Amino acid sequence: MNCQLCQKESDKYREGKLSDDLRIQVESHLQQCTECAESYRIQLIADSVINMEKAISPAINLTARIMDRIENLEDAGNKISKPFIRVLQPVLIITSMAAAIFIGVLIGNIYKPSGTVISRPVELSLIDDATIESVDILSNE
Amino acid sequence: MTDTEIINIILQGGRNEFRTLVERYQSMVFRTCMGFLHDKDDADDLTQEVFIQAYQSLNKFKGDSAFSTWIYRIAVNASLNRLRKNSRTPILNRLDSLFVTGKEKEISLTANDDEDPESILIRLEKSKWIQAALDSLPENQRTVIVLSKYDDLSQKEIAEIMKITEGAVESLIQRAKANLKVKLSSTYKKMRLIP
Repeated sequence: MNCQLCQKESDKYREGKLSDDLRIQVESHLQQCTECAESYRIQLIADSVINMEKAISPAINLTARIMDRIENLEDAGNKISKPFIRVLQPVLIITSMAAAIFIGVLIGNIYKPSGTVISRPVELSLIDDATIESVDILSNE
Repeated sequence: MTDTEIINIILQGGRNEFRTLVERYQSMVFRTCMGFLHDKDDADDLTQEVFIQAYQSLNKFKGDSAFSTWIYRIAVNASLNRLRKNSRTPILNRLDSLFVTGKEKEISLTANDDEDPESILIRLEKSKWIQAALDSLPENQRTVIVLSKYDDLSQKEIAEIMKITEGAVESLIQRAKANLKVKLSSTYKKMRLIP
């Protein structure tokens, strides 16, 4: 067996898929040829690393995580699919606040105090504050 | 229940039926992602992204190919996109790798706790060596290696996923193996890792 054939059959040899006759020929060649033997050892290492990675399992809760995210996405999608509600909500809040202020002002204007006014004598309303003498002037006298 | 029946139910509003598809294909998608990324947490995250992407574009699935083929395509594309994105931000990755080193060791240690520290280190070095060689392959060669070695798919299945002929797959596998051999042999001679 030559190197080319040995390299070609090495995959099947590693997987145990060769006939007895070919297997013996490959083994014999690997014992004699250092280059093919080295290449074979490298392939074995590569296989072992790949098998090690293949043996790692996904997270146990992966399915639940995926379904949760899908649920959240759908909920968000539903909210986004109703833009009317998204616009209407702040408009309703602003309108109700404006209405409350308007009603407050309206009620304030309508209100006229009646029973609580203290009655003053008519003479007092005739007094002109500007003509009253200053207290300081009186005291100086 | 077949995949097509499940998909029809989902499209009619039966969202929870998607769980069956996730349970059926998550290991397979995870293995593909692992083959490209070599990191459990990253592969978990990407598997999640793949299924969400599949769910969102489920109405585009026409049933011309099997659902498994379709989701493999999504997984391969998502993995390649992630790798391209990672290669665009090498500084961030380098910073990230500082924190990932311990995690890698933890994952490898759990594989066989009876091993002595020296053999664990050798195994880790070997892993990095092989991973680096795989990562240096061109995208299409890397894809055929992942699909054939990690997912044990036949050339026919790989051809269907990659939308190329079986002959092209065979050719890509041969070229990938030859490239790997050259890269691994040259590093092997320098490192002398094998006892």
